[in-house]
Amino acid sequence: MRIGVDSEVCEAHGQCSIVDMDLFPLDDDGYSAVGPDREVPEGEEDTAKLGVDACPVRALKVLS
Amino acid sequence: MTVPGIDSVDLTTPSASADPFSVFRALREGDPVHWSEAHRAWLITRYDDVSAAFQNKAFSNDRVRPVLERKRQAGAESAATGVLGLMTGWMVVNDPPVHTRLRKLAAGAFKGQRIAAMDEMITRIVDEHLDAFLRGSGPQDLISEVAYPLPATVIATMLGAPPEDRDRFREWSDELALVAFGTGGAARADRHERALRGLREMESYFHTLIGKRRAEPGEDMLSALMAKEGDDRLTDDELVGMCALLLFAGHETTTNSIANSVLALLRHPDQLDRLRRDPALIGPAVEELLRFDGPIKVLNRWVVAETEVRGKTIRPGERVHLVLASANRDPEKFADPDTLDLGRSPNPHVAFGKGIHACIGAQLARMETRIAVARIVERLPGLALAEEPEWKDVLASRSMEKLVVTHS
Repeated sequence: MRIGVDSEVCEAHGQCSIVDMDLFPLDDDGYSAVGPDREVPEGEEDTAKLGVDACPVRALKVLS
Repeated sequence: MTVPGIDSVDLTTPSASADPFSVFRALREGDPVHWSEAHRAWLITRYDDVSAAFQNKAFSNDRVRPVLERKRQAGAESAATGVLGLMTGWMVVNDPPVHTRLRKLAAGAFKGQRIAAMDEMITRIVDEHLDAFLRGSGPQDLISEVAYPLPATVIATMLGAPPEDRDRFREWSDELALVAFGTGGAARADRHERALRGLREMESYFHTLIGKRRAEPGEDMLSALMAKEGDDRLTDDELVGMCALLLFAGHETTTNSIANSVLALLRHPDQLDRLRRDPALIGPAVEELLRFDGPIKVLNRWVVAETEVRGKTIRPGERVHLVLASANRDPEKFADPDTLDLGRSPNPHVAFGKGIHACIGAQLARMETRIAVARIVERLPGLALAEEPEWKDVLASRSMEKLVVTHS
């Protein structure tokens, strides 16, 4: 599973990071530091999906 | 700028507590960065400004330490400074790097909790309270019977406290609120003293619980918090502080999320019907209910460097109130902000704050509110408001005294 953030859309709500701060790291200003395309470690797919769903502006996407 | 009515704005009057939203609208439109003499603080009311303030490093969360230092300088070493000392260790009143370490440790403990098990535990607790509520007839207070006891019981359970101790968590939560938000008047001075004594008890209770979990770790959050090895692990005093913070931050806010949600649904029967017909809407519905009438009106920040917001100069030593409940009704951000639309999406409300201090318990609070609102809607089909609620005259929270309803 791969996830990514559209940094044009991210507003630094930090809700993804509350789900899992390792899968969804933030930069110093609170914006997502997930990057455009990141691999989710095996076994953490459900958590990744929760984090993506927690984004209030839908900046995060499951890519595959 | 002079706008009629704004110069004397006081958010703690009965009329402002009953309808804060018209005051917020006047502020957003007339003076969105407003110095309030009544509050001795800046009121920031537009979404964009509140949002930017969460990232502005001139606004510090280190806001208990200055109060504590003033008290200590005045020679007032007392039970109050003891409790304030405990609170200065809370991550919510610290900036990085102190905050970063505590937040990481707390996040790890939240992450360790199994979601399916939490869902089941919360549903069971909600249903127990609703069973008792359904046995009653006539007008009953949904807050004291359901919304108020639920979150304290959830936190006590998550910390691994024995069931028979759970009522004490509610008392401690009230006592923490009393000390944190002040008492207001000498008449309540003895209540304050009692609260401080209660909190001493709480501290020794948590120390004992920590000792038990060290000897015999379980699946609970306290065991997860202490499981971390190495130099940055939490000390016992920090663990006590963390337990108190989880209780303080997770209790009244969740109570008000549930109660305000139910009230908003009762006032919008079309939306209540919509949720009844489509229970799967509960996720976005709760986000919209949090936006529409969330539990926190105001978060405050301490100014540590000169900064400018919308042309106003804000200076070190001043206080800033970020009015979340106003930001969430800003028409620049939300179309028809005063309309409750359970299907609203996207819904970038700031009821949980934003950025590095965004409420760490947000997922738990969402889960509790979703389950409680869904079960109330499902199990109380005849739910109706029995009397007009009264709002508490407090600045920080949006909180009813009672929510008296009938269910048949």
